[in-house]
Formats: sequence, structure tokens, C-alpha cells
Amino acid sequence: MRRPGLAALCLLAPALMPLASPAQPEDFRERWSGFWTVRFERDVSGAALLEQLPEDAVLVDDAGGGELAAGEFSGLALSESALASARNYDYSAELLPENACRAPSVAFYMQAPFPMEIYPGRDLIVFKMEYFDLYRVIFMDGRAHPADAPHSLSGHSVGRWEGETLVVDTTHIAPGTFMNNGFDHSPNLHLTERFELSDDGSILRLTQVYEDPETFAGRAARYMSWSKRPGEYVLPYDCDPNYGG
Amino acid sequence: MTISSRCLAGFFLSLASAVAGAHHSFAVHYDGERIVSVSGVVEEFRFRNPHGMIRLTGASADGVEGTWTIETNSPNILKRRGWSEDSIMPGDEVVIEGFPANGGSLAMRVYRVSFADGRELIGQQPAAGIER
Repeated sequence: MRRPGLAALCLLAPALMPLASPAQPEDFRERWSGFWTVRFERDVSGAALLEQLPEDAVLVDDAGGGELAAGEFSGLALSESALASARNYDYSAELLPENACRAPSVAFYMQAPFPMEIYPGRDLIVFKMEYFDLYRVIFMDGRAHPADAPHSLSGHSVGRWEGETLVVDTTHIAPGTFMNNGFDHSPNLHLTERFELSDDGSILRLTQVYEDPETFAGRAARYMSWSKRPGEYVLPYDCDPNYGG
Repeated sequence: MTISSRCLAGFFLSLASAVAGAHHSFAVHYDGERIVSVSGVVEEFRFRNPHGMIRLTGASADGVEGTWTIETNSPNILKRRGWSEDSIMPGDEVVIEGFPANGGSLAMRVYRVSFADGRELIGQQPAAGIER
């Protein structure tokens, strides 16, 4: 039997190894990396991305710093237990020092009006969030969600490229607020995200689709967008629970 | 896709309307539909996340006297608008406009700080059409 030569092995190696992402867009590192600041769009720039949302998804209208009032849930049908929790929510407790620096999960922090930095690599994409100094790690090496991964505010995220679109699937998200009004998601929240760049690379757009049968029926969605600002950085958040003295 | 509670136009207007605070609900704790004004002397200014805080002794435009606790947006957001830890000093005489706290306490979220020398600091912008 003839053994393959080194050159042949080298040629075969990419096929034998787990592929990081077989269809990474050209120049994606340069185009996606850097500082991104929240856009407050009067006219939506990502209509095409919104059109791709599932027909039954309910768009939650609080992204970019907008807020829903007490008892408003954007039309989502909450489960009885979630609704009861929201109705009994104690807003005054939010102001206590022990709660002042309680960071939200990825189900809420992506829509906050704070900038972020993105560091795209072949096997990992890292998001450095200004809000509460949080981080996201997106595994791009083809791995699955491990069943025994701990729950965390950012959860466990795996991504893949669909053409120029980054599709991210996140599970293992620690329970936290979903709408900042007493409505909390469960530890079984499933988040699917689609990130896209504008053709000129200056705008990053995102749609999120959430499923959490324990707390609401059907699917919820959010839309958000950011502008690229070369040369800027996120600032330390350094939350101080005694900010009010 | 279903947008059941508001029309799409309203959704995107809401994106532009208010850059609310960080951790707690602005919508619940403050009246975003009204602006009130207080004149007085700064007792204390803290500039820490999640919110800055100004304590001001003075009187509101409608004659209510006392010490007001005035919250700002996240200092990170305000730094990008020119604020710093030294922007406001104890002893400064200022006029502060802001969104009053729900419930009637002497508290508000700052919209604008005006100094005697004409300097201004802008905090949370009111939505278009808000009563001032």
C-alpha cells in the first residue's frame, strides 16, 4: 500500500480538520472588527433583515433604550406564571444598592444604548460590551452546545456564516429580565440572531428571535443596528452600587 | 412577523424618542411626558455608573423648596456628550430641567443643566412635543 506523501496530507488536512467556518466572507475580519455605536433609527435601514423574521414573531418595541411601561409586553402572550411574576414585581427594589449593579442577560443587554467592540477570529468572535463590562464569545468552529455547560448572562453561543450573514444560536442563558419591567425569561430561553453588514460596511444590523415556552407563547423578536466608528473604544463601566450616595 | 401592539412607524419613532437609563426602568420611575425646572445650589455631584447623581438645594419653578436628588444618564453616555467628573462642582448655582419622579418625591432625571455663565450640559433628551 502506498502511503500519501506530506504534500498530499497537507492538501487533505483542511478536509480532515473541523472547519472553522467553510464560507467565511472575504475580508470579514477587517469589515466586522472595531467599535460599533448604537443607531437610533427614525427610518429603519434593515428592512430586508426584518422581512426575514418568522411570520409569527412579535416585534418587541424597546430596542435602543426605548422602554415598555409596567404591564406592557408588546403583545406577547405571557404564561400565567410569568404574568403573575410581572404583576408582583417590586420596582422600588431596583433602586437598592444590592440590585443596582445586577447585570442583565444577553436577552436584554444587546438592545441597551451602549456601544460595543467586535473582535472576529477564525474560530471565535468576541463581543466586548460597554454595558456592565460584559463579553460574548461566539464559537465558529462547528461545535455544538454542550449539555453540561453552566448557565451565564451571555449563555453559550455557536455561529455560522450563511453567505454574508452571521447566524448565532445561543442557549444556557441565565434567567434575567426580558423587558426591564418585571418580565423575566427562563433558563431555557433559546436565542437565534442574524447579523448583517451594510454593503459599505458602515452599519451593522441585527435581528433576534427568542423562544421560551415557559414564559411566553410563540416567538418574540427585536431589531437593532450600530454604526462603525473607527478609532473609538468602549469605556469601562465599573458599576458602583453606591452611585446614589 | 406580527407587530401587535403598535404600528411599525410607532415602533421606529420609539427607538428615536428616549435614550433611557441603564439598569432600572426610566418609564416606571420618571414621568417622561413632563419637564420641570429647579434652581439652586449644588450640594454634591457623583459621576458613577449606572447613574450620576446631583443633589441640589433650591426651589422648583412652582415654588417647592427643598433638596432635590437628580439622577443623570449613565456617565459613559454623558462623557461622549462632554460631561466629566468636574463638570458640576459643589457650590455651583445652576438651573436644572428634568423629568419629575413619579410619586411626587423631590427627584428627577436630568435633561439640561444651565450655568450662570451660559454653559449647558445635556442629559436625557425629551421626546418631541413634550411639555416644558
